[in-house]
Amino acid sequence: MSRQASGLRAWALQRISAVYLGLYLIYMLGHLSFNAPETYEAWRAYVADPGVTIGMLLFVTALLIHAWVGIRDVLIDYIHPIMARVGLLSLFAIGFIACGLWFAKVVFLASVAA
Amino acid sequence: MKFFVYRYNPDVDTAPHMQEYDVEVTRGMMLRDALMEIKRQDEAFAFRHSCGEGVCGSDAVNVNGSNLLGCTTPVSELKEPVNVRPLPGRPVIRDLVVDMSQFYQQYRAVKPYLIHKDPLPEQEILQSPEDRDKLDGLYECIMCGCCSTACPSFWWNPDKFHGPQALLQAWRFLADSRDQATEERLDALEGPYKLYRCHSIMNCVEYCPKSLNPTKAIGKIKELMLKHSI
Repeated sequence: MSRQASGLRAWALQRISAVYLGLYLIYMLGHLSFNAPETYEAWRAYVADPGVTIGMLLFVTALLIHAWVGIRDVLIDYIHPIMARVGLLSLFAIGFIACGLWFAKVVFLASVAA
Repeated sequence: MKFFVYRYNPDVDTAPHMQEYDVEVTRGMMLRDALMEIKRQDEAFAFRHSCGEGVCGSDAVNVNGSNLLGCTTPVSELKEPVNVRPLPGRPVIRDLVVDMSQFYQQYRAVKPYLIHKDPLPEQEILQSPEDRDKLDGLYECIMCGCCSTACPSFWWNPDKFHGPQALLQAWRFLADSRDQATEERLDALEGPYKLYRCHSIMNCVEYCPKSLNPTKAIGKIKELMLKHSI
């Protein structure tokens, strides 16, 4: 493999994740408008549905990939000192992974309790 | 008509300044004519120009915030006072004359010439009219630099990002049925900088005095790259 960061792969992932994010947001807006769970228990039951769980986990994965490519682009554009760039990239990477793990925990706990 | 022109002579001035000139507008006067009139008033004023009809691409300047060609812009279309500055983001050599070296380096980097590996035929390499049509909107570039110097991605990374002008030419040769170096050209464009610093801001499309569309060409390169990778 080449020594440089990816160009095509990052670009393609950003586009593919955008499609999923767009479709999911339309579905979610529709669901919340016409068939929103009314109680906390109803919410938990809704999230515990395997289809919904997978959909949500995919959503967060796509969101984090999309955000990662986006923030990487911003940092490559504007932050030129190499140590500052590496530091900021690491900070965002750790933050994004933490967000993903936290979200997975929330979704799985809902499934366990239901 | 009132003009404010960017003046900077590194031998004499410590900092650039805007100097005011009054130019009497004549019928059909282009911005280039006005700049020549200013040159008559003040011989120390420097700017590039040559053909005077939008072919050579020498007299690209920034006027009231927009990059354009002096020779194809009627002064009657400009809002007064007219602020004339050098192309943005380029080192100023003197007044409106800028150093375009990086711009040419990026152009050179895309190998802007046909690469043909088969033995050359006795006569010309034939091309169908349809294949020839694919080059329309690509070969007309006059390399004035209006697009690349209006591109924020080129401002931030002019040493690494090819910029819209060079990428339009990269696609011009990728799209050419006679060129046989598609794989090498695509490989050379991979990585986060050369091609993928383009974020479809489209300043290039807005300012191209030849109404070309580098953003579309860049999209085609990405599409071709994707096709060749899966």
